[in-house]
Amino acid sequence: MRWLRFVLLLLIVTMLQADMVDIIAVPGFNIKPDLLLILLVFFATNYDMSEAIIASFIIGFAADIIVVGSSMGPRIISFGLFGSLLTQMHQVMAIRKMRYQSLAVLVTGILAGVFVSLLTFLKGQSTSANIYSELFGIPLYSAILGPFLFLPLGWWMRIKTKRSSRV
Amino acid sequence: MARKQTRTTKRMLFTWLLLTGFIILLAPEKLTNRFQFAFARIFQWPLSMGRNVTLSARARYSIETNVVNRREYNQLQNHLANVIEQRDEAQKKLEKTAGLRIRYPLEGAKLVPVDVSTAFMSGSQCELIINRGGDDGLAEGQFVLGDNGIIGTICRVDRRSSQVKLITDPESKIAVKIEQSDAGMVMQGKGNNSAKIRLVSTKHKVKIGDIVRAVQKPGFLDSAMIVGKVSRCQKDDENPLLWDITVDPVFDLESLNIAAVIIMNPQE
Repeated sequence: MRWLRFVLLLLIVTMLQADMVDIIAVPGFNIKPDLLLILLVFFATNYDMSEAIIASFIIGFAADIIVVGSSMGPRIISFGLFGSLLTQMHQVMAIRKMRYQSLAVLVTGILAGVFVSLLTFLKGQSTSANIYSELFGIPLYSAILGPFLFLPLGWWMRIKTKRSSRV
Repeated sequence: MARKQTRTTKRMLFTWLLLTGFIILLAPEKLTNRFQFAFARIFQWPLSMGRNVTLSARARYSIETNVVNRREYNQLQNHLANVIEQRDEAQKKLEKTAGLRIRYPLEGAKLVPVDVSTAFMSGSQCELIINRGGDDGLAEGQFVLGDNGIIGTICRVDRRSSQVKLITDPESKIAVKIEQSDAGMVMQGKGNNSAKIRLVSTKHKVKIGDIVRAVQKPGFLDSAMIVGKVSRCQKDDENPLLWDITVDPVFDLESLNIAAVIIMNPQE
């Protein structure tokens, strides 16, 4: 892993996620793509386990830090947990085709979202009023957008994202 | 042997990182919020630049509906000038009759202009991060003005940045009164750019379009100021003797990029 490139990429994506993604949000529903979720799936499916675990927790930390006022921790734990599970699954079954990458983003997004809501609830904080759009809308939008971003991400991180016929 | 050791290391790494996550989760919020404030402060410039880009992209679509023509603008300016003159006349008469000098609302108060660095407008959170903090005299509970109306109150203060809880945040509760009625009411945010007023008896006359004002609060606000307008008013489903009132803010919270904090008793 090229860690300097990873840190730079994470900083840029975190800032984009904090303010810029509102431009492409679905009007009326406040559904916007989660770029950090896409990043999580990218690192979990393209790097070896130790690097992917560290990257998952750091991405979770970035996801927590941009939501000022909310309690920190739920995203660190859920991104770390599901990123690690995804990378473990990737050892058994390579996720290379676009539709499987898309499915991985969707499933990871939904599971991480449910876990974040659960941890937030257990911490005694109010969960979102439009929880269904956050749990399903955001992962769905990210799943549609995600695979298209894997190529530029791979170029930036200097890795080959070769698509084989294998699942 | 080496393979087993690597696997153990990976497991240990995961366990330690997960444990760190739980420690951060259970740590006091005051402590963890410092990280969030630090991020907002360090990256203030790119964040506010990103917000401006977003706002200008939105403005391109809404420019035709949000702009009044020059004639209408002049009419409003003339109306404002007449109202100010009438108010000054009334003030003079009142001072003559009472023999006392009467203070204007917000006279002596300091308005601290602030830039909005970041805005969070999800269903569960409607908050802003502004670029002024305790060093500029800001304190928790102070009211924040945007487009000449109350938009929220300061809920957390750092040295050089603060967090504003908007009136639409589900955790925001402020004392208000509705145009027609003098009864004290509590308005609670609902998310989705609106707020609710409940526990109001149907004895009070309330209609759509009525102005809702934040009431005076000693040390924070010395005159009632507009917060929104009644957009829906119907009898409560559970208790037909009470109103279920929905209030819409009179300003576009999402496109706000400058505001002002009211400091009633400035130290200087």
